[in-house]
Amino acid sequence: MDHFARLGLPAALDLEAASLDRAYFALQRQWHPDRFVAKPPEERARASVEAAALNDAYRTLKDPLSRAVYLAGLKGVELPGDGKTIDDPDLLMEAMEAREELHEAPSGEAVDALAAKARDDMNKAMAGLGSLFLANDRPAIRKTLLRLRYLDKFAEEARARRMNLERSRA
Amino acid sequence: MAYSEKLIDHYENPRNIGSLDKNAEDVGTGLVGAPACGDVMKLQIKVGPDGLIEDAKFKTFGCGSAIASSSLVTEWVKGKTIDEAETIKNTDIARHLALPPVKIHCSVLAEDAIKAAIADYRAKAQKEEPKEAAE
Repeated sequence: MDHFARLGLPAALDLEAASLDRAYFALQRQWHPDRFVAKPPEERARASVEAAALNDAYRTLKDPLSRAVYLAGLKGVELPGDGKTIDDPDLLMEAMEAREELHEAPSGEAVDALAAKARDDMNKAMAGLGSLFLANDRPAIRKTLLRLRYLDKFAEEARARRMNLERSRA
Repeated sequence: MAYSEKLIDHYENPRNIGSLDKNAEDVGTGLVGAPACGDVMKLQIKVGPDGLIEDAKFKTFGCGSAIASSSLVTEWVKGKTIDEAETIKNTDIARHLALPPVKIHCSVLAEDAIKAAIADYRAKAQKEEPKEAAE
């Protein structure tokens, strides 16, 4: 059973956080170990397997990027896993230049401006994913998701840099 | 997790950080990334007229093991022919730096980067050579 089906939700890119939360918390109550303490061991075991699978599904679907990567996997688009490398020059050049710019950013304001631009790029790329999924354009989905991975990493690095700058000023 | 002295040395004092002119005919550039962890690595070699790698530079945005792996590779390839440099294996890098198992993929990135730089250099060199029996 895939994560969407497990939560009784349509397998789609757009998912309201509130519907996801509702579906998850209802099922989590249903399979909560407290309700199975007096039950036979097989049922207790089943409940703990279900509860773990639910948590996994919820974690995967809650974050929009991880949800998009998962949905792409269901459609046959596999992203390179741990230890796998890519050599797409456009994508890597963009990532390299962005990280250089961040590394050289002189002030908190400069970092914020770069982070805001990255967020904007991420939103645009996420918005573009919808039509790529509709067209089932697998190579373009893959490329967009890889780019999003790098933008996401950039945002993470920008937060770390911001914290370092603040700490050194304090 | 305990890191080896060699790894920490390369991380704290990385060798050959920087860039070479990627448009120069005697420079090969390898640009590779590991999307799972968001690392990106650029490794460049400059090949002299005698066929030996006379300079190597790198720029890596990633974890300490990725930085140390690329720093080590630039040090290793200097003075080697490109055929020799091509035989560098990620397992050699991992062993030398005593990378912990979860960081082995960083050495894979460095091996792929030097291979990509060599491939780029060869592609340029081939284009330059007059074509025999072309027309």
